[in-house]
Amino acid sequence: MLTLQSYLTLGAIIFSIGVIGIVINRKNIIIIMMCIELLLIAVNFNFIAFSYFNQDLAGQIFVFFILTVAAAEAAIGLAILVALYRNKKTIDVQELNSLRN
Amino acid sequence: MIKELIFYSFSSVLICSSLAVVLFRNPVYSAVSLILSFITSGFLWLLLEAEFLAIVLILVYVGAVMVLFLFVIMMLNINKETEKSSFNSVAPFAVFIGLIIVAELITIIWINSSQFSTSSTVIQQSSQMGNTLLLGTELFTNYILDFEIAGFILLLAIIVAISLTLRPRKNLKTQVASEQINVDPKKRMKLVDLKETK
Repeated sequence: MLTLQSYLTLGAIIFSIGVIGIVINRKNIIIIMMCIELLLIAVNFNFIAFSYFNQDLAGQIFVFFILTVAAAEAAIGLAILVALYRNKKTIDVQELNSLRN
Repeated sequence: MIKELIFYSFSSVLICSSLAVVLFRNPVYSAVSLILSFITSGFLWLLLEAEFLAIVLILVYVGAVMVLFLFVIMMLNINKETEKSSFNSVAPFAVFIGLIIVAELITIIWINSSQFSTSSTVIQQSSQMGNTLLLGTELFTNYILDFEIAGFILLLAIIVAISLTLRPRKNLKTQVASEQINVDPKKRMKLVDLKETK
């Protein structure tokens, strides 16, 4: 018997993996952006699970808009990444500390 | 019974591929694992009768966003930088905190499970009207303003992405139309008095 709780648990696990991935990563910003996509997927899981178990279509509408905004966010983020690499010649998180001093 | 089998196998695939996204050193491997997790979550959404969103997830994310990611990874050519140690010093502590977050979330979800109000009759909506038809009807009537705002956000993303990455070439000879239109004809020609030469 699949209940709402199983889907919510799956969403919670995916969300935590995304959070850990953002924190422990030191290589490059691309992996961090992929972890943001994982977080969005986890949140969408919760929306769709609630939408199915409450028989309310508003959750799926909301997921539609989240997908739109996430696509825009990925496009702008990658554009920022390209501009950053062009100026700094690196996308390593450790080296991008020019705001520090 | 078959739904439980599908759910547990696909969710274990999803968790493993999300872990692979985080743990791989090479960003190309991470991107391919992220593609696998998108497709797996699309199948899980099919199980929840969200057919339209599942197809949109696979088409938009795997077809567009992840191809864009792979383009950027290949274009920046960062594969040689990945030889360094890949995790920073706070990694064990962060994993510990993450495990605590998982434990707390799961505890809250399963202890207060009676407070989640679920509809008593989960009807099979796909038998009456398609999910796409219902979603489209809702989207173009009650949520039409939000739909147009979403389109505007996409337009904004196009403009911002182009303007961030567009690099104007130097020494480029272009026409400036406003200056050409605003030319004063009286300043174009100057009459000079020449003295008569004998």
